[in-house]
Amino acid sequence: MFFSWDYLLQGFVTALSWQNLLWALVGCFIGTLIGVLPGIGPTSGIAILLPLTTVLDPIPAIVMMAAIYYGAMYGGSTTAIVVNIPGESASVPTALDGYELAKQGRAGPALGIAAISSFVAGTLSLLGLTFFAPSLASVALAFGPPEYFGLMFMGLSLVISLSQRALLKGIISTALGLTAATIGQDPLTGDVRLTFGSEELIAGINFISVIIGLFAIGEVLVNVEQAITHIYEHKKLEWMPKWSDVKQCAGAMIRSSFIGFFLGLLPGCSPSVTTFVAYDVEKRVSKHPERFGKGAMEGVAGPEGANNATVSGAFVPLFAFGLPTGPAMAVLLGGLMMYGLQPGPMLFTQSPQFVWTVIASMYIGNVILLVMNLPMVGMWARIALLPFPILGPLILVFSIIGAYSVRYQVFDIWIALIFGVFGYLARKLGFPIAPMVLATVLAQMLEASFQQSLLIAQGSFLIFFNRPITAVFMVLAFLSIARSLWSEFRERRLEVAEEDLD
Amino acid sequence: MRSQRFGDMVSGVLLLLLGLVVVLAALLIKGAADVQMQPRTLPLALGCIIGVTGAFLALRAWRYSGPTRIVPWPDWNGALRVLVTLVSLAAFLLLVQSLGMPIGSGLLVAFLVWYLGGCRPICAGLLGAATGGAIYLIFIRLLNISFPVGFLSR
Repeated sequence: MFFSWDYLLQGFVTALSWQNLLWALVGCFIGTLIGVLPGIGPTSGIAILLPLTTVLDPIPAIVMMAAIYYGAMYGGSTTAIVVNIPGESASVPTALDGYELAKQGRAGPALGIAAISSFVAGTLSLLGLTFFAPSLASVALAFGPPEYFGLMFMGLSLVISLSQRALLKGIISTALGLTAATIGQDPLTGDVRLTFGSEELIAGINFISVIIGLFAIGEVLVNVEQAITHIYEHKKLEWMPKWSDVKQCAGAMIRSSFIGFFLGLLPGCSPSVTTFVAYDVEKRVSKHPERFGKGAMEGVAGPEGANNATVSGAFVPLFAFGLPTGPAMAVLLGGLMMYGLQPGPMLFTQSPQFVWTVIASMYIGNVILLVMNLPMVGMWARIALLPFPILGPLILVFSIIGAYSVRYQVFDIWIALIFGVFGYLARKLGFPIAPMVLATVLAQMLEASFQQSLLIAQGSFLIFFNRPITAVFMVLAFLSIARSLWSEFRERRLEVAEEDLD
Repeated sequence: MRSQRFGDMVSGVLLLLLGLVVVLAALLIKGAADVQMQPRTLPLALGCIIGVTGAFLALRAWRYSGPTRIVPWPDWNGALRVLVTLVSLAAFLLLVQSLGMPIGSGLLVAFLVWYLGGCRPICAGLLGAATGGAIYLIFIRLLNISFPVGFLSR
């Protein structure tokens, strides 16, 4: 796999042909629409639309599929920001601050920043894909189960940061999320656990239902209870981001590009993980971390940038080894193979025109998405202008469709409803819900990599400390936990001291 | 009853009970041969964590002597609105296989829009019909997703 200016230029020439440009445009448009529809994430979006591309030649077909993927990724953030329905786990961190911004009448700027951040991070990470793919591809192979466990454990340590000032409740929330995820079959042995005799529970609890319940249904119940007339709390509404918003988020966009790209190289490290990591990093580097969760623009820019950068990163192992890093990439791999292309080391020598055209088309796709979505920002943001007694029931129906569409089971809607009630009670009692979502998403991979590591090491826990990459992740995780525990302890002492003075 | 302290004590006790249930259920999981970590280990550990943290939460709330923090529980009208919304969702789920997703969703939207005071009954009915129609056209006809269609399959 090697880089050549000639090939890249040739790729741009082919990608800019009117046919390929048209299909990229169609792909971005359909992808965005699909992403906005509840329950149809990028994976099912590509799977549904794959047959449509069969009438095309391989190059325009893959250009269109990649564009659909990008578009769907962006579209998913729209519902997360405007109506608090993250259609997939990757959009959860976006919803944390995006929806708060929407309630403050700033849905437009939040959507605009999401589009700009997606563009910046998408383009920066594409530069990584273009110039450094050969040397980076080997990173994917350096990761075995212990390294994954280290990474997932570090991800879980973010829980503390997501818990704001309710550490104990954050830990409880995490334990509940992990417990919900252990329901069903053991990932290694297949033994049935915690199903209480229910056949439906054998397949486990789908985390999309958990997310939809906790966020969308829980929020609707709170608003219904309070007889809210509009979700906007302020009369003054903004439709586009200001220059100061963009400047404020510039650092977040660049940081998230790196985080998304490098973590995206790893199989299994889907945008669900990278967006949480990016959110946490933004919160840690911010001079005002207390604004996060209450409407911080960087809380939208970070995860959105990481989301798109992860996609570019994921193309490195896909092209270099034919290794899909997640379900959406697996569907794309299926698409490539359907056209007789075998991803792997030979792809770059056997079909250079194809690879470089696809890479060039991604640059163009990013521009198309930005140009297409910025003018539409105001239109999406206006959805939240609907009176809540009309919008609320529509959100519930979208949530139902979203929960049902994952496995086509009414049971999943019941799960969403149960978690909706839990989300409502959690909001009342001050239990943070983001740690629960993160735990549910990470649980299975965490457990599987832990078990596989112990199998490799024949039961020795030293495997998590004597491999350099794993050791770094573990040390970072412990440092993060210790730092947060220390600041919590210090704050409590200060509070006690202040109370004593009073 | 409305204080955060009371809420934490009740939720702590409920979590303790939940932890016990998880531990008991985990103990019933069969063991597997040739594995370093038994399938029951993680649920067992999680059950213990939930129970212990729940007990700690309840204990901490019991010993709390600071200023009273109020949980914004709903008034009677608010509670009724939440209850009616939940019951209508449950009714929808019980009937969705026979009614079908388009008709069921349409009825749910129409009822809730009317009940929550979004608009008059006729307008709510039209909105419900539009929702059902859109679901039928986009998800069932256009995207060919296998939603229950109920009456419409005939």
